[in-house]
Amino acid sequence: MSQYKIIFTGPVGAGKTTAINSISDTPPIKTDATASDMTKLRKAGTTVAMDYGIMNLNGGEKIHLYGTPGQERFDFMWDILVTGGIGLILLLDNTRADPFQDMKFFLDAFDKFISQTNVSIGVTQMDISTTPTIDDYHLQLKALGINTPVFSVDARVKNDVSLLVQSLLFSLDPGVEDVA
Amino acid sequence: MGNIKRPVKVALHAMDERSVRTMTMYLQGPCKGVAMVVDDASADCDIYDGDNIHAKKLLADRLNSSSTRQVIVLSLHSVKLNNVIVVKKPVKSEDMLGALAEVKARLERDAKQEKDLQPTAIVTPLKKLEEDKPILKHFRINSGEQSKTSKHQTAMQINEASFNAYIGSLPGLDVNDPAQFFKASYNPNEYFQGYIQSAIKTCQKRDEILQLSTNWRQLILFPHNHELWLDADDKQLRAFAGVKIEKTIGSKMLLTPCKYDPAALASASDKFHTIETFVWKLACWTSKGRYPNTLDIEHPVYLKNWPNFTRLLITPHAMRIAALMVHEPRTLSDVARILNIKPQYVFVFISAACAIGLVGQARREADVLVKAPEIKPSQKQGLLGRIISKLRGSNV
Repeated sequence: MSQYKIIFTGPVGAGKTTAINSISDTPPIKTDATASDMTKLRKAGTTVAMDYGIMNLNGGEKIHLYGTPGQERFDFMWDILVTGGIGLILLLDNTRADPFQDMKFFLDAFDKFISQTNVSIGVTQMDISTTPTIDDYHLQLKALGINTPVFSVDARVKNDVSLLVQSLLFSLDPGVEDVA
Repeated sequence: MGNIKRPVKVALHAMDERSVRTMTMYLQGPCKGVAMVVDDASADCDIYDGDNIHAKKLLADRLNSSSTRQVIVLSLHSVKLNNVIVVKKPVKSEDMLGALAEVKARLERDAKQEKDLQPTAIVTPLKKLEEDKPILKHFRINSGEQSKTSKHQTAMQINEASFNAYIGSLPGLDVNDPAQFFKASYNPNEYFQGYIQSAIKTCQKRDEILQLSTNWRQLILFPHNHELWLDADDKQLRAFAGVKIEKTIGSKMLLTPCKYDPAALASASDKFHTIETFVWKLACWTSKGRYPNTLDIEHPVYLKNWPNFTRLLITPHAMRIAALMVHEPRTLSDVARILNIKPQYVFVFISAACAIGLVGQARREADVLVKAPEIKPSQKQGLLGRIISKLRGSNV
């Protein structure tokens, strides 16, 4: 049986681990470790290897949910991680100093994978920092020639994460129907 | 140097145990046969994680030493050091393979010159690595923001079965009958929606807090944070949205400057809405499955960008419609045909999207004559459908 996976990426503290936790059927395997440098400013533990969760589909298929390590210095795994991926979920933290820079960094890092699949962007922490707005993100993306879903997301809320993933799948094929 | 046809032997530095393990796996994966991790004593090349907190010192020590081994630095920053190969993060396989090829070429060159030349260690003081930029921006946390529950709540989704009951319909009009499409439009200006949209425009233009006085409920507009406050719940708003407003009553709606008293509204913070979310649902309830008369049913329309669906009322098939219309201009009936859905779902979606300024209409004749291409079903359509089914089934 084929292995399918959805990749979650984004900067430290953007909510990748939480988002995977929100939709995974099994408790995700967390590999958070005590942060020892600048990431300490953002959260006490950070993901140094990867997060992993599973969605079990009818018929026994499994969708593997992988979160990339939050600290960019561990990103030499990214090329391996995306192989065979269905698409990319990019989570951005709106309280970061320059979330647009983060966005461009990750879009650039995964440009090949995105061109082969697609990306949906979730912006977290918008209840704490209301700017930049979702419209601002679209303006930035337009300048990059990208028109992709960008949603406000609370990574703790299953429905938010679910809608974000759904948008990715519908972007890949609007003809897809719910086959419940 | 020995035989350099073999993989480049690398030693890893400035990496913790987990990183060493991961890097080793990486070199056994995409770089298999090109490089291998060995102990420090037998390496041809040293690889440093330049962003490690100890990297600066370790690298400086290394560059000041007499070692002639090649050095690769993985770094987020554009670092320039003599004779050091820098691979910018995120490290891509092709970049890493390129760096290793460069190491190999240098080893070959050095092997040839070994007997004639005594290589001299080039000692270069380590340039100061770029200081980390501040990662947190300065913002003031508004303690009242989280209490605005209706503003931050996740999207409500309605399915086909509950559509008519929730959105409403009009007696004597079948919006799904192509023969009645021309009658299936509505004029937002004849409803509360039109008055609200006009008030929002004025408010944003004047850039001041304004109150819309009606015979119905109190409504206050806040242009700076794109919010409004309405003293009514959704049920009341839904009922009012569908009522045509007589011009005589409409003229009694007054927009006046408002002295905002935060304390007075604090106890009813659940009545705050973002303007976009509010106008979107108001348009859904005004539409009742019709399309706005500002659109020409025979001309293709397109979506400027995706709506922020996690904060909006999601009508049936809204995401599929958005995914289709964001790429190519299409007529509304074409969208319904391609997705094999009732036109009322397209009409109600387009009404809401139009109300928040997301819809554009192709006006050129060429856009009408040249039909948008049919969509090609993905090879994974069945799988994608099963994932969506799973996600929707697990929604609470």
